[in-house]
Amino acid sequence: MHDLTQRTRPGANGTSGPNGTAARRRSPRELVPALAPLLGLVVLTVAFVVVGTVSGVNMSYSVQTLINQSVVIVIIATGAIFIFAMGSFDISLGASTLVAAMVGGLAYNATESLVAMLVACILTAVATSLVSASLAAVFNLPVFVTTVAMLSVLGAVAVALVQTTGGAQIKVDSSFARQYDTLPVKLSVAVAFLALCVFLFTYTRLGRVEKLIGGNPVTARLTGVSMKKTAIAAFAIAGLGVGLGAFLTVLRTPTMTTSSAADIGMNVLVAMVFGGMPISGGPRTRIYAALLGGLSMAVLNQTMTTLLATSSAGNGISQVVRALFFLAVVWVATSGHRSKLLPR
Amino acid sequence: MGAGLMRRATGTLIIPVGAFVVLTALCSLNGVSLFHTDDSLLLLTRGVATTMLTSMALAINLNSGRFDFSLGAMATLSSVVGATVAIQTGGGFAVMALVTIGTGILLGVVSGLVYVLLGISPMVCSLGITLLYEGISFAITGGANVSFLLDRGLTSFAKSTLAMVLVVAVGLVLVYTVFDRTRFGFDYRALITGQAAAVASGTKEKRNAVLTYAVSGALMSVVGLIIASQMGYIEAGKLNFGSIGIMFTAFLPVFIGGYIGRFSNDKLGFLLGALTMTLVGLAFAALSLSSTVQSITNALLLVGFLMFLSNEERIGRAWRSVTHRRGASPSGPAAPTTAATPNKAPVTSGVNAS
Repeated sequence: MHDLTQRTRPGANGTSGPNGTAARRRSPRELVPALAPLLGLVVLTVAFVVVGTVSGVNMSYSVQTLINQSVVIVIIATGAIFIFAMGSFDISLGASTLVAAMVGGLAYNATESLVAMLVACILTAVATSLVSASLAAVFNLPVFVTTVAMLSVLGAVAVALVQTTGGAQIKVDSSFARQYDTLPVKLSVAVAFLALCVFLFTYTRLGRVEKLIGGNPVTARLTGVSMKKTAIAAFAIAGLGVGLGAFLTVLRTPTMTTSSAADIGMNVLVAMVFGGMPISGGPRTRIYAALLGGLSMAVLNQTMTTLLATSSAGNGISQVVRALFFLAVVWVATSGHRSKLLPR
Repeated sequence: MGAGLMRRATGTLIIPVGAFVVLTALCSLNGVSLFHTDDSLLLLTRGVATTMLTSMALAINLNSGRFDFSLGAMATLSSVVGATVAIQTGGGFAVMALVTIGTGILLGVVSGLVYVLLGISPMVCSLGITLLYEGISFAITGGANVSFLLDRGLTSFAKSTLAMVLVVAVGLVLVYTVFDRTRFGFDYRALITGQAAAVASGTKEKRNAVLTYAVSGALMSVVGLIIASQMGYIEAGKLNFGSIGIMFTAFLPVFIGGYIGRFSNDKLGFLLGALTMTLVGLAFAALSLSSTVQSITNALLLVGFLMFLSNEERIGRAWRSVTHRRGASPSGPAAPTTAATPNKAPVTSGVNAS
């Protein structure tokens, strides 16, 4: 895979100097960037509580909305960390979620079985993800551009799937969806998947190898790491996350059009980076980045909605604030990893 | 020398000419013409103008390892500002064009400054900038379209074939001059081929990056101007990365441009790549293909071309072994010991930039 031949980046080995080791106690200058995403979440949560209390909003309802907004992003982004840790980049996650959700919806309509819907979502997403991985691995294609092509193909597949119904949407029985669109279901799915990802990324060889590939692909290859197998495993796990995200998307939005889930792909990316995930992957990759980032985004969105609900330009101003906060958090989080040369 | 020139001409023209021949044949087989409507020439020139400028805007940063998601947002915001000022002042198209392009340059400079001052990954930076510019567009218009459908002064520009030809010519000459004939362009190339060495030898990397972003912003503002003038309105309510779609149309022309650049000049390559893709689009329309088939065909073309680029040496070796086995005689010319490909342009393609 092309991405796996990239050059080593300055500071990518996660140490700040020749004597830097993981065991060494971190100085405050290193600690602040490392904790920036967490501090960002804390600041945003305080702002959320203060704004909510002052505005007199129903906090319980607000927290529910917050979880609804963030859970799909957190699940998909956590799976996608396995891809990004290797320095690869998948832009087709949103389109993949949409197609998997549509197939899941069609499977439910055909069988009226929740399990069939879940299985269809997961199988579709994993298959889609593996097609990207196989194309990239077998034909030496750059992962990013392969996923750009997949984005186009999946968009077309979504249109074709909608056309099979003879209308402009795929509809699942809303009373059935409402029955399972509950916090316990969402949280159970999220906790189970996050636990699996934390285990795989932290306690198995797969996570270590991925960080090695992202940090120094040449060394990884010389130490006998199978790039192709690792990439396929990473894409399969990401596909599982997309499948679960698609399942929850059907339950949340039982009427699906070709524009459903349109912003998920990029929001996943923003969530990861917001949570402290280096876009180049490598040893600084943290599996909890998606959780931190997804929650931060949702808290910020909810706070801005409370503040700007009455303004016609509110959504735009909200996005401007989100952009500025995003840039600020990334700037602080990467402050310990700069060189004289501009990053590429 | 003659053989070298022949090889360069063949490498430069094989893709657009090949595409034209294949598409014309396909259309003929289906009993339709590639240029089947009265305004086919306008569609061709307008398609070439927007695709070429977008490809150049994408490529000039991609060549330096900087991926920019904010191209579409820059096009939208600059045209929103230009159209709003033109409508409010009644200044007509000249004011709209000047303000749009000026805003585009300013937005490019802001993008570049954010990147060099914050020192963060350019891709991550462009995510933040995209959100910022989309948000500003929305805030200016309240999410509504900026509409001037009935103002012929503002909409006639994109309906003129001559104007589109001029845009292509001026864009090509300007970008060629800036990047191939100026000190800035030489520094730009030095930074592409050896960032550390260029900086160590005194090249002002930050200034070069900001100026490159400014050129990118200017190019995208012209794209925004053409699209706004063509549609008669601007969709300013796109949030959450709704503006990035325009960038994807430029990928294949960028790769084609990089390939052609090995034989002649990559700027000419972007023009020919844009021409090729616009011809493909015209053929889609002539053959009345559904959007589903169009999307899948475009994706297959992209993947197919990348497969070729990524496995070129392997394909070349296989081809040489086949032709050698068939036609080689003991007295014939010796097979080349190295790949018979011309020098590759320095990091010309995003193939290296994923």
